[in-house]
Formats: sequence, C-alpha cells, structure tokens
Amino acid sequence: MCGIAGLLITDPDQRPQLGALLAPIFEAMTPRGPDSAGLALYGDGVEVHKQVGPATKLTADMALADRGGTCGIAHTRMATESAVTTEGCHPFMAGDDVGLVHNGSFSNYATVRRDLAATGVSFDSDNDSEVCCRLLAEQLAAGAGLAEALGSVPDRMDGFYTLLVATPSEMAILRDPAGCKPAVVAEGSGWVAVASEYHALSELPGIDEAHVFEPAPLEVHTWRA
Amino acid sequence: MACVSTDVVVLDAAVDDTRTINRALRALPDGARARIEHARGRHNLAVGLHHPVTVDVVGNAGYYCGALGERATVRVDGSVGWCAGENLMSGSVTVRGHAGQSTGASAHGGLVVVHGDAGARTAISLKGGRVAVAGSIGHAGAFMAQAGVLLVGGDAGDGLGDSLYEATVFVAGRIASLGADARVEDLTDDDVAVAVALADEAGFDHIDATSLTKVTSARSLYRFDALAAQRY
Amino acid sequence: MPRTPRPSATFPAAVIEQIHELSDVGHYEIRGWGAKRAVPSFDDLTFLTSSLTRYPLEGYREAIDTTTVLGAGRAERPLVLDVPITIAGMSFGSLSAAAKEALGRAASAVGTSTTTGDGGMTPEERQASAKLVYQCLPSRYGFTPADLRVADAVEVVVGQGAKPGGGGMLLGQKVGERVAAMRTLPEGVDQRSASRHPDWTGPDDLRIKIDELREATDGQVPIFVKMGATRVPYDVKLAVAAGADVVVVDGMQGGTGATQDVFIEHTGIPTLPAVRQAAEALRDLDVHHDVQLIVSGGIRSGADVAKALALGADAVSIGVAALVALGCNRSTTTGDDRSPPEDVTDDYLALGATPGTCHHCHTGRCPVGITTQDPELEARLDVERASRRVENYLRSLTMELTTLARACGKSDVHNLEPEDLVALTVEAAAMAGVPLAGTSWVPGAGAGLP
Repeated sequence: MCGIAGLLITDPDQRPQLGALLAPIFEAMTPRGPDSAGLALYGDGVEVHKQVGPATKLTADMALADRGGTCGIAHTRMATESAVTTEGCHPFMAGDDVGLVHNGSFSNYATVRRDLAATGVSFDSDNDSEVCCRLLAEQLAAGAGLAEALGSVPDRMDGFYTLLVATPSEMAILRDPAGCKPAVVAEGSGWVAVASEYHALSELPGIDEAHVFEPAPLEVHTWRA
Repeated sequence: MACVSTDVVVLDAAVDDTRTINRALRALPDGARARIEHARGRHNLAVGLHHPVTVDVVGNAGYYCGALGERATVRVDGSVGWCAGENLMSGSVTVRGHAGQSTGASAHGGLVVVHGDAGARTAISLKGGRVAVAGSIGHAGAFMAQAGVLLVGGDAGDGLGDSLYEATVFVAGRIASLGADARVEDLTDDDVAVAVALADEAGFDHIDATSLTKVTSARSLYRFDALAAQRY
Repeated sequence: MPRTPRPSATFPAAVIEQIHELSDVGHYEIRGWGAKRAVPSFDDLTFLTSSLTRYPLEGYREAIDTTTVLGAGRAERPLVLDVPITIAGMSFGSLSAAAKEALGRAASAVGTSTTTGDGGMTPEERQASAKLVYQCLPSRYGFTPADLRVADAVEVVVGQGAKPGGGGMLLGQKVGERVAAMRTLPEGVDQRSASRHPDWTGPDDLRIKIDELREATDGQVPIFVKMGATRVPYDVKLAVAAGADVVVVDGMQGGTGATQDVFIEHTGIPTLPAVRQAAEALRDLDVHHDVQLIVSGGIRSGADVAKALALGADAVSIGVAALVALGCNRSTTTGDDRSPPEDVTDDYLALGATPGTCHHCHTGRCPVGITTQDPELEARLDVERASRRVENYLRSLTMELTTLARACGKSDVHNLEPEDLVALTVEAAAMAGVPLAGTSWVPGAGAGLP
C-alpha cells in the first residue's frame, strides 16, 4: 500500500520547473509509504531513481527540485507482501520507457506471473506491481496503444489498484472496478498532476483554478505532454 | 496559536498541528466561531466536536473533515478529501467545492452538504443522517445505507443503493445503474416534502423535487431463503 | 452371510449428513463457536521448568507480577490490567445483556477489561466493566463519538479468527427491538455486516483513520488493531505502520456468534504459529513489547496463557472460554436465590445438540441464557452467579499461569520466553519455532518468512 504522485507538463515554458513542482507532491505522500521511494523522470529520455527510505531523502539525493522535464511519476511504498528492497521499489519499467506506479494489491498476481513466466517473461522482483507492468509491456509490444493496454489490465489482474503510467509522450491513470484506492487528478494551466491525496497538490501554482476530480472506476484517462 | 480577531477565533494550519487545532476548537465556548486558515488538504480537521460552535475552514480540507461530530457547524469553502462528515451524529458539515469518497459514511444524524460533486460510496452505511449533493455522485452511492436520506442534484454512478435497508435516495439526474436489491419507487407527496425541505436546508435551488427518482430497498435480501426457516 | 457395514473414510456419517443438509436447504451451514477440528495447539508444547540450571520461585509464597500495560507508547492513559487475560469482543445482540453484564463484573473484579462487539456499547456494559475496549467495526452499528469518549481503548477490527475476510452475522431471531434500534436495522432482519470498512481501504488509509480516532479521543486512549490470523507477518507490520498501539491477532480457533461453517473451519492459521509469527514481525520492526501483542483463539487454560506469553504475546483474549465459564454447554441453568438450577438438557436436544457439543449460538435459543435475546431464556442466567463463575475462572487461569512462570524462575509472567518451551510434535515445533523435545531440532528454522 502506498502513495502515488505524478506531474505532466503540457506547457513547454514550464518544463524547467517539473522537478520543483513535483518534489513537494512526492514528498507529501511519504506518510502513505515510508519504506521506500521511487521516481521515473521523463525529459531527454527517461531516468529511474529508487531507494529504500523516505521520499525526502531521494528528492534531496537527486536534487529533484533542480530538474526539468516533461513528466514524472513517483511512488512512496508501504510494503505489503514483498521485501523492502530497491528492487521492490516502484516505478517498474515496461520495455525501455514505460513506467508504472501502483497503489493497492493484486489478488491473483502469482497466477499471472506464472502465465507470463511460461511465455518467457523474466522478472526482477517478487513484487505484484511488476507483474502488472510486465503485462502492460507485453500488450504494448504487441502493438496496443497506452490507453488500450491499460484498459485491458482488469481483464487479467484481480484486486484493488490505482495505476499511474507514463511514457515519453503520455501519462495515464486507471482505477479498479470498485475504485478502492484513492487518486486525485488536477488539470491545471500547463500541467496535469496526480496524487493519492489532495493535500499533496494544494501548493501547486494555479491549483485553485484547476479542474480537480477523482477518476471513476475503470475509466482510463490519458494526457499528452 | 489561537488569536481573537473581531469575534472569530483564527487558527492557522500552517503553524499548528492537527491536535492543537482540534483542542482549540473543543475549548471554544458554546456559540463561538472559529476559522481555520491554510488548511491545504489537512486531514482530520474539526473531528469529534461535540458542542455548538461554528468552524469555517479556509481552502481545501483532507480526509474526515468534521467527522464524528455532534451539534457543531463545520463549513469548508473549498473541496474535501474522503469521509467528510463521517459518522456525524448531529450538526452539519457543508462543503462549497467537491467531496471525495465515502462522504457522510455511516452518519447517524445531522446534515452533510456538498455544493459540488461527491465521489464513490457517498452515504455508504448511512444510519439516519442526511446527505445532500448538489452535483453528481460516484459509484456505490448509499451502499448498505440503513436509514436517512441521500439527495443527489446531478447524476448517480453505477450500483446506486446496493443492499439498501431503510434509507431513501432521491436523484434529480440520471442513474447509471441500480445495485442489488435497489428499486425505483413512485414519489409520494411526503417524499416531495422531504426533498424540498432538504434542498432548502442545503441551499440548493436547482432541484425540481416533483421530478426526482426515488430509490429504496426491494427488501429481498432481508432474510435468507424463507424455505430454510430456522435451519441455517 | 451378513457382513459388517463398511463406512467410508472419505464419506463418513457426518459428511453424508452434512451433504443431506445442504441438499435440503440450498445454502451454507451457519453456526456459532470456533473451529471444531483438531489443529496443532499449545497442548503440543511443554515447559522446561527449573531444576539445577535454574531456580524456581517459591510457588505459594514469592510475589510474581502479572500487571500488563497496553498502549504505553503513545496514549496519555494506557490500559493497565492486573492480569494478562482480557475478555474478547462479543456484542450485545450476539450475547444477552445479562451475559455481557456478568462478563463485565467478573473482569472488573479481577482488574481486567472486556470488549464491546459489533453493535455498540450498552450503558449496563459501561457500568459493569471498569475497563472497556470499544470496537470500531466495518458495520459501525451503534458506533458513536460519545461512547468513543468514554472508552478505555479503541479496537479497530479488521477481521477475526473465525472469519478473516468476512463480516459478522446476526440472524433475525436475535434482532429484537433493542438490538435493532441500537444497530439502526429493521427488527428481525438477518443482519449481515460488511467485510470492509466504509471509509478506508488499506493500511495507507487506515493510518488516517487511526489518526481520526486519536483526534476524537484527544490522544488519551490506546488504539488496538485486531485481525484474523492469515498473512500474519505482513499484516502485523502493516498494522504497526498504520499506527496501532496494540496488535490483536486472533487464530483460526477463535469463536463467533454466527458465521458460515466453511469460514470457521477452512480459513486462517492456528493460534500457535500466529503468535510466533506476530512476535517475529514485531521484533523485525524492533517494537516487540513497545507495541503490545494480544493473541486469542482457543485459549482455555493458564497453560495456554503461559505458552502464548512465552512465545511473545503481552496478553491473551478469551471469548468462548469465558462463555463456557458463564455456563455455556452446562446441562443446568445457574439458578438464583429464589430457585435452584434447572436441568435444560431437553432444550439442547431440541436444537440438535447436547450439553457439551452445543454451537447453536446463531439460533438465539441458548438453553442457558447466554447467546439469546429471548427474555425467558435470558432469565435463566443469574448475573451474580454467572459473574462469580467467570471471576473464579479468571483467577484460576491466573494461578495456573503464575504457577508455571514461578516454576520457570520468573518474577514477572512477561519474562517467559520461547526458550522455556519445547514441542511434543514435529508440527508444533515447526509452527512455534521451538525445538522438538529431546532434540535441538527446530523444523524449518532459518527458512524465513512467511
């Protein structure tokens, strides 16, 4: 169980501020997941940073506030069934550049993992979220678009989840059929932000004018950079 | 710390932690007014108040705003996270903006008003309280609601009224789907009166109470299979 | 030549009878009590008491401390018990008001706590129980902030051993006028409680819920988190992460007033491995005994209590055993000052049970007035006599506990440790993580979690 945070910059002039805007959202999710933290940062390519410990340490170590870019998705982890290790940190990467962060728990991931392993897919961790990520990667490799691939997750994965996914050009979100785990989206002027709890977004410039909503269950929302 | 400006006690969430703020609110004399500034999505503001005071939250509040309350009036000029007015007993919680999930969950009494939209599981497990939402609500509204009233000025999401007991739901807009054991019933004059009174109290003027859809329990889940009598 | 009838091992008479029953009624069996089948238990452990390597305390003379402090970490007013044996949550509704009051009086007399249950707090219960733990359950039946403020601790119930992952149940015959009013339900409905809380969906949100309860109680009292024993190592760690002051782990032998038999018999792990796993999880987090551990599920004797403490519990909770002490499954009523005990064997037979095998709490027809809402049946339980029995029982358990602890050389029962125990079976050795008696072999040691 965890906190998620994401920020997509749609206004090129604001790209230098990506890190400065994302860092406080990310850090505000620390109480939901104090065990470890991770971030995928998109700009010129994608960088993945993850480490055991609180988000504040990671943002300081990588000087996130000084970094620009188009998009970042981040995760603070309260470990459930798999170990607190760097390998168990989100984001998980599908292929070269598709990042996924997850809040929730999948109830049939062991079976999906076995099925994928039988087709030759290999895994870096024992984490349930990685299974979902590998599943997405398979769909994308088979030619599906991001929205289509994400929309098909409920066909295979059972349980509770809010999934936040990014590619070099898009960010997308999906919640489980019961909408169990939280997500708040704010569509602002020049940016789209996502967090598990609203307070993480409350300091964004222009938040009062943003369109703020909770995505409905099974509704895939995508945004382009 | 609390400081008095005119006759309103001003508390600053940017300075004080939640416990300090709630203690200050509980220490107010009956009839007093307080304002919480810089709420910025803080959770658990104005929780468990049990005397007649009025609390205005400036900005957006987090989870459980005004929850477990009795006799107090809590007003938020922005939006709130999950569970505003949760387990309310009496008094009111009013949200000018939108509300997250489980708004008014298991409220035993009192009034929860949302002027924007409310999320999933609005009025879940409702036990006699009244919840009025000017806009739309998410899925599983009034799930397992036992008593009380949910009034929705906009649309209702999937699974409305699943496993309802004796609570009543009124919806002005469209209902995506009804949940198990929920059914649409004809509006009576009494229903219209109840809805009008609730809309008035909530300050809604956009609802035509005579054209509401009323949802109640079909009561088919109240007992296990009757043939089995006492054998289970 | 006539042959001896040959029963089937796969389909013995009881299984055949059950299939006939299911094929008659078309739904699962519902019943009270806990798992009836045999599972590895504390009976499979024995203490290595003192001889030459260690000195015992004088059994009848030297003082031994049984004081148990729950929630000292964060709460302004921790729950201080004179004995490490508490009464588990059982609702008014499932139990009669008389039974609840008798439990409360007995617990107060020995300086321990009782716990409310799924249905709220009655004034009689608050009056009778000097130390009362107030449960916050998924249903929130009768849950009020006023009762919260007079509670001595709050217990967020995630699940229970009889039905981890399931909600409670109270059949219509027990949903009488007062019970229905307390729970805001129509009289006579088959109440099926929610399995999930209405306002949080995981440990990340539970953390905020626990903060809410702390605000509503002004941080005065401890917050417990209770769960059925399934994925114990993870669940205990998550409860701590969510802010629990005390973790309560209820093993699969734990009882219930009414639940599906399939739940009671086929879910969760026994209390024996659950204690060990829970204690290990707390040690991993370096909070063992700072966050206290209460275990429950099939605790019957002072030996069970001592073994649970030795394996790492700070206290135990008893439910079914307390009801049995009240008079559950006795052939006679308590009697009172005006009338002698009355034989009620026929009433057991009418339920399809006998004194000693009854699990018909769900029917509300309890022959001895404990799990009923029927005024005539309830009158069969004399509160004074029943509470005296429970008081005697709690004192007996405590004496058994201190006897074993003194013999192990402890001046405080909480100084019992796993090294005081060995196992009599390979299964118990593996589950408890102690050596098989006469060997140094701990099966599975070092195999890691879970």
